[in-house]
Amino acid sequence: MNIKKIVLPESEIPRQWYNIMPDMPDPMEPPLHPGTGEPVGPEDLSPIFPMPLIEQEVSQERFIDIPDEILEKYLIWRPTPLYRARNLEKHLGTPARIYFKNEGVSPAGSHKPNTAMAQAYYNKISGTKRICTETGAGQWGSALSFCCSLFGIECKVYMVRVSYDQKPYRRIMMETWGGTCVASPSTETESGRSILEQNPDSPGSLGIAISEAIEDAVTNEGSKYSLGSVLNHVMLHQTINGLECQKQMAIAGEYPDVIIGCAGGGSNFAGNCLPFVRDKINGKEIDIIAVEPASCPTMTQGPFAYDFGDTVQKTPLLPMHTLGRNFVPEPIHAGGLRYHGMAPIISQLILSRLIRPVAIHQLETFEAGITFARTEGFISAPETNHAIAVTIQEALKAKEEGKEKVILFNWSGHGLVDMAAYQSFLSGKLSDHALPKEEIERALEDIKPLPKPRQYTG
Amino acid sequence: MGTEYLPPGDDYTIRCPRLGQQISFSYCRTENRGLPCFKTLDCWYSHFHVEAFLKEALTPEEWEKAFSSPPKPKLLSLVELIEQAKKTNQRKA
Repeated sequence: MNIKKIVLPESEIPRQWYNIMPDMPDPMEPPLHPGTGEPVGPEDLSPIFPMPLIEQEVSQERFIDIPDEILEKYLIWRPTPLYRARNLEKHLGTPARIYFKNEGVSPAGSHKPNTAMAQAYYNKISGTKRICTETGAGQWGSALSFCCSLFGIECKVYMVRVSYDQKPYRRIMMETWGGTCVASPSTETESGRSILEQNPDSPGSLGIAISEAIEDAVTNEGSKYSLGSVLNHVMLHQTINGLECQKQMAIAGEYPDVIIGCAGGGSNFAGNCLPFVRDKINGKEIDIIAVEPASCPTMTQGPFAYDFGDTVQKTPLLPMHTLGRNFVPEPIHAGGLRYHGMAPIISQLILSRLIRPVAIHQLETFEAGITFARTEGFISAPETNHAIAVTIQEALKAKEEGKEKVILFNWSGHGLVDMAAYQSFLSGKLSDHALPKEEIERALEDIKPLPKPRQYTG
Repeated sequence: MGTEYLPPGDDYTIRCPRLGQQISFSYCRTENRGLPCFKTLDCWYSHFHVEAFLKEALTPEEWEKAFSSPPKPKLLSLVELIEQAKKTNQRKA
């Protein structure tokens, strides 16, 4: 009988997280405080984060010990199994060997408790009585509610109104774990009330919910705020995934040629791939692919070029991924590209050519999710389907090339609370039309004469 | 303006990468305090001619505000929200 999954014994759970900051080939610059012009420092963040998390945010230590109290809680679902997707391989007829790390076995159903647990713990030992946060459809809110309950901390979640109304199950999960979930905008904060005064029927937004959560944390004694993606300490906590995976791949006697993950805020992707990025920095040949939803082609199809930050060419030239000033101006940040909403660490690693971004259309992701469910059984979160779609592409490429590649992807969560998305797909409601290539090329003509920045080597 | 330039109705939903759920265009169109969400063009360009539609629907100033403002690094936006909350607290006191 062939081995299907590799399960590490609890005694083999990694005792440290990996911090990539000291290994970054291109150091990252801290953002500047808008008032002082100085780099943002610990005291600026102390109203919302406990000091141990702030220290981790700026740490240059390569490995950071995981406290026993967190390890004990991680053992509820960790180490997570590494699966060999033999049925998918067979279905595709590929010589590639496909592995996936199942992060969907956590109580909340995704990778998010990896950092929620750590954040709850550090808040607990710092004297925090309650944690405030925002959530969209509730993945993060439910993960944090679960972890707060284990450390006896109150959890207050501002859930975007449109999600609160349309996605009751995750809200009920939060309440089951003892969290308090309110629809945002709410009447509980100044920022919420001012929105409701202008528009009593406001469906809310993540921006409003964040404002409410931070206001709540800052204005209530013993309260702090928690964020589930983007920040360095979040990426750090997630690396337990990749560190486990390295041990499991070694047990399988394999090493990945290709690593794939979906990248929204970047945390599940970072968690799986950063320990392997370290290997790549040290000479290993790995193709590490960040998969994002196909966008009005931005970082995957626009060259990293200098462009004008505004359409009337008033601002200085700034480096950004761009399709030209007459197209969709792209985001920028101090020190390089910051793909809007994505973790700066991931953006920087893309610039450093250690991670390759790939975009994929929605229909293909659902097709891949259905194929995966019908071969491997698991129903994936729609975001996870992005990684599966590119895994299938890579496996078929290996078939064409006749190469026995080893492909590893991060199965970041199940989709059992997301069946409405599958319903849209299965009922044929979704349609897809890629932007014609000629349109992109026409837009790129605009930026041809502009100088290219140092980082651009393409 | 032809039908391909008109947004689909509310029964047509796509996955919102920020919220993590299915959402209709009417939400994205006003998500940012009445202006479109900054990802509207990214998310909807493959479903209808969203760029042309919004260029007609928005004033040049609104377009600039919605899509052309450089985003702030997350830490910076958090610091700004902290400062804002501190002021709210002072007003309360």
